[in-house]
Amino acid sequence: MAPSLLHPPSHLSPAAALQLSQQAPFVLQSSPATVSSAPLTALFSASETPDLWLKYENLLLSCLRTGDEHAAHQCLDRLVARFGENNERVQALKGLVREADATNNADLEKILRDYDNILAENGTNIPVTKRRIALLRSMGRVPEAITMLVRFLGFSPTDPEAWSELADLYLSQGMYSQAIFALEEVLVMAPNAWNMHARLGEVQYMAASATGASDAESLKYLAEALKRFARSVELCDDYLRGYYGLKLVTTKLINYPPKPAVVKATDVDDFTVPTTPTVEKLNELATEKLSEIVRRYTAKERHWRGYDEAEIAAARELLAKDASQTEK
Amino acid sequence: MAQIPVQTIHRDPQLFYWILLPITIVMVLTGILRHYATVMLATAPKKLDQKTMREQRWLMHGINLRGNYHVLSKRSFNTRRDALTAAFESGAYLKNPENRGQAPPNPLSDPSAMDGMMGMMKNQMAMIIPNTLIMSWINAFFSGYVIMKLPFPLTIKFKSMLQAGVATRDMDPRWMSSISWYFLCIFGLQSVFNFLLGSDNAASQMAQQMNQMGSQGTPQMFGPGVDPDKQFRAEAENLAVIEHYSVLDDVETRLLEGIRA
Repeated sequence: MAPSLLHPPSHLSPAAALQLSQQAPFVLQSSPATVSSAPLTALFSASETPDLWLKYENLLLSCLRTGDEHAAHQCLDRLVARFGENNERVQALKGLVREADATNNADLEKILRDYDNILAENGTNIPVTKRRIALLRSMGRVPEAITMLVRFLGFSPTDPEAWSELADLYLSQGMYSQAIFALEEVLVMAPNAWNMHARLGEVQYMAASATGASDAESLKYLAEALKRFARSVELCDDYLRGYYGLKLVTTKLINYPPKPAVVKATDVDDFTVPTTPTVEKLNELATEKLSEIVRRYTAKERHWRGYDEAEIAAARELLAKDASQTEK
Repeated sequence: MAQIPVQTIHRDPQLFYWILLPITIVMVLTGILRHYATVMLATAPKKLDQKTMREQRWLMHGINLRGNYHVLSKRSFNTRRDALTAAFESGAYLKNPENRGQAPPNPLSDPSAMDGMMGMMKNQMAMIIPNTLIMSWINAFFSGYVIMKLPFPLTIKFKSMLQAGVATRDMDPRWMSSISWYFLCIFGLQSVFNFLLGSDNAASQMAQQMNQMGSQGTPQMFGPGVDPDKQFRAEAENLAVIEHYSVLDDVETRLLEGIRA
């Protein structure tokens, strides 16, 4: 799929982002700099569409990412001209551009103080609140960012983006159970997001493999991780990360030192580990599916080219390791 | 049966230029004026303060949890349920905790509710005033004129619609009076406004009336006169009665069977 300016560009690969930002002069030239809302001109000129402003915003993000600050400023000027200085979203974008322009830490501190001033006036300015948290994070002040984020979620608990950011922050601090809680909140709001199911599985797998986790605990985590991965591939047939995780977890369960012969969980509230034959079958299934994905991707078959290069390489490595182990 | 002779009425061709066209042009211009008047009168949606937002979003959060509890394991669900029901019942997320248990304020005296009322009033006014003016203008200057003949035959029932203001018994319904042309314009200019002003214009009164009908049908969730404390309590009760199951319960068997099938 060609990158489009109508989607937020945060997930794009560097090449795609560059491609987008190279369109900047063309886009800026082909669309009018200002759209007048006076009755007569509105009758005779092209009408204004929400798409246009969305395009400017995404273009701005791509340009900042690729270092085209001139075009970014142009986009920002147009957005300011249309929505005014005091629009919440424009304030956040303006802050973003200033952050990109900042050369030293003192500048960033100043921007942070400006955010504080904006927030003191208007406590529900969500874009600026988020910007402030992101800035704190990128300045390396993770604990402060977490505190801010928790306070933000205290009055706006229906924000999946904020919850997943919180999960990421907690994970970066090694606080697995908090991260798992935050990811579960994301799932409550988006129950069919297979990538979030797989992500939660990954975090649970990490929690199980962490040093300091007792056997019972890590078994509990592994059981749920297995189920999360299984759910994610149930929701999305050819999801590489889901199968990859499923394979990791099942391999770990099969080689688990205290054989999970006693599948009885200590608590009825927890998930029980499936029986060993089921785990083995799941492992086989994941291996099969992964090798199919790798094979078809390598053969460049139609509809199988959308995978990430790095993920395919990781899957190939995992399969090779598995094969060498069985040979031994 | 005798052939009914074709009625011919000799009209001054100037009628077309001095009545038909002016009425049409005036109607179009009023529509455009009404559109811009509504845009100008529209108030920006009021900003929520932090406490109101907290109240509404936690309620939404409770509803989300009630709808999607099946993605959680039983343990995580129970923790959340306990926390939320306790907070909901103690009124921890209320905007005005001191007002608990009191009767909800009269929506008419609540200033935030008045805004909505005023908005509706303004819209109504923007519709009624120009209509009354044009109607009386047409009545004063053009009443009783037969201004055009439709190019197709019509049955007798259309007489009352097309010949309003012309009290004749035997005239062919194809003849049309000026006041009827006005009514036709009211209903027929929608597509002209769509062309001139874009599809979400406020010029057409039909669309506005539809809107009002629609908004009355759906109950307002956070509107004035709704007691948030009661909503929270109801939600806590809803959460308390949930019998938990999880989609993860048999997911591995489902997966294996699904692949085999």
